[in-house]
Amino acid sequence: MEQVGLAATTDVTLWSLFMQAGLVVKLVMLGLIGASVWTWAIVVDKSVRFARARKQADNFEQVFWSGQSLEELYRTLSDRNPTGMAAIFVSAMREWKKSFERGARSPIGLQMRIDKAMDVTLAREAEGLEARLGSLATIGSAGPFIGLFGTVVGIMTSFQAIAGSKSTNLAVVAPGIAEALLATAIGLVAAIPAVIAYNKFTADAGKMTARMEGFADEFSAILSRQIDEKMQTRQAAQ
Amino acid sequence: MRGSIATSAALHVLVLAWAMISLGSPAHFEVADTEAMPVDIVPVEELTQIQQGDKKAPKAEKAAPAPTKRPDVVENAENLGENSVDLKTPPRPEAKPLEKESSAAPKAAETPVPTPEPTPQDKPELVDEKPPATPATEVAALPTPKAEVTPQPRPEPPKPETKTEAPPPPKEEPEQAEEKPIEKPDAEALPDKVPAPMAKPKVEPKPEPPKPVEQAKATPPAQTAKTPDRKADEGKKDAKKSASAKQSDFNADEISSLLNKQDSSGGGAKRSTQTAALGGKKTTGGSTLSQSDKDAIKQQIQGNWSIIPGIADTAGILIKVTLHLDRDGNIIGQPEISSSGGSDAARRTHEGGVRRAIMKSLPLKGLPPDKYDDWSEMVLNFDPSEMGF
Repeated sequence: MEQVGLAATTDVTLWSLFMQAGLVVKLVMLGLIGASVWTWAIVVDKSVRFARARKQADNFEQVFWSGQSLEELYRTLSDRNPTGMAAIFVSAMREWKKSFERGARSPIGLQMRIDKAMDVTLAREAEGLEARLGSLATIGSAGPFIGLFGTVVGIMTSFQAIAGSKSTNLAVVAPGIAEALLATAIGLVAAIPAVIAYNKFTADAGKMTARMEGFADEFSAILSRQIDEKMQTRQAAQ
Repeated sequence: MRGSIATSAALHVLVLAWAMISLGSPAHFEVADTEAMPVDIVPVEELTQIQQGDKKAPKAEKAAPAPTKRPDVVENAENLGENSVDLKTPPRPEAKPLEKESSAAPKAAETPVPTPEPTPQDKPELVDEKPPATPATEVAALPTPKAEVTPQPRPEPPKPETKTEAPPPPKEEPEQAEEKPIEKPDAEALPDKVPAPMAKPKVEPKPEPPKPVEQAKATPPAQTAKTPDRKADEGKKDAKKSASAKQSDFNADEISSLLNKQDSSGGGAKRSTQTAALGGKKTTGGSTLSQSDKDAIKQQIQGNWSIIPGIADTAGILIKVTLHLDRDGNIIGQPEISSSGGSDAARRTHEGGVRRAIMKSLPLKGLPPDKYDDWSEMVLNFDPSEMGF
């Protein structure tokens, strides 16, 4: 539109390019900048969270295998709000206590209940780890397209303006196209970190989940052995 | 999460601020101003089919310049004109000849003046006259020397008449005599020795035969002969002989005789025998189809010609097509097709192919309407071996 007419005199700094752009292109650019902000927010959040989860898991495993009494450990952990492996441990222990101490009859039923409780907790924890990774994937895949849309709209308007001004001079055409291409640039700036972060955090979440599953299986085996021992002693007592 | 959003937003603000500052407008390209070069596309027929006409003549079917008068034909002449040599320069109007001749003639008459002196016979006489001549005014002395001098330098036959006439003029001319010695003392003194004999044969023959009266004027030189005598007394002693000899090569009076008096002329030598005509309306830009016009027509037909592959003996076949076209480019009647070379079967096949191609490409497009006279009947030659893809 009129920015093409001013083409000869305007400078081409980023700010002026942004201000020259049409409404649609401006909205696209703003949306992409918002997406970028969101991407980096997730990146920061996930980095912190994964680091903390890893540290907690390490600490828990150290305490768990230290030979400390499981009853004591359960008592200390259940007071806090446990996450990760601790949450799985607490949920299993809670189910164990509820069922066994009230005098469960079937060891198989008890085993299944404990496994179910651990699965549910595991799924909840894994969901927490993978939360918002989906939006990273969306930004990574859709960002370039949104930027391209802004570019196409910008180039369209700039060509319409050229048709109006009846001049094909490159100096007239260039600013409009540069301004339109800025949208694609912002889209790529938002999308590239999103894709990288998505891949990294998906892998990290997978690792954490596998580690929790491993712990759950191990703990399930331990509990199963405990159940058998308790059942034998109880039957012997009867 | 709120904290990380704030962190991210702050990070973006920082990056954008840095981008605004450091990624300011990039350096502009240094573009040297280049001048656009205008290119005109000139069809060759504008040059090859120019027709020369006469602007003032009435219109006729064919343009022709005004007829030339000279009958002799100069070969390969390109420029119209009556010249004997073909020149591109336009013919010049003839200059007025009379003025030049009249101005040239008196000079020629004056030139003989020195001639009498150099002759050896003059000198002794002049010496005798000196004593009386120098004291008296020049005018008084004039009559006597003339009579004596004039006869001697000119032993030639026509002069006796001039002698009789000679005596009267001196009275009229003393004024000239007075002027001349003053103006040209050196020049006249010099010729005594060297130049005069040289000049005589060239100059004298021209003025003498046609103008006897002027010879009377020629006589006054005798007066000038005296003045050199005076100077001979004064100047000869100065031993300027060598210097005067050099100067004597240049005689201002003889320049006219050395000049080439033939007027330079221009104009071509191409003759025209037709009546002058401005030319008709059709002749702009030539009336025959240019090569590119013909190629364009051929291309239309070739585009519709589907060559049947695998025909034996295609090489050497030439197909000649004669078309009669109306002004819309449609054919009148049937195309006349004849062919040569190759086998009969192949020829027949190709003739059919050409006929179909022509019929398919009718009406022919791109034919210049102003050249209809040329393309109303068109002969096209096709070589099927060139049609291969």
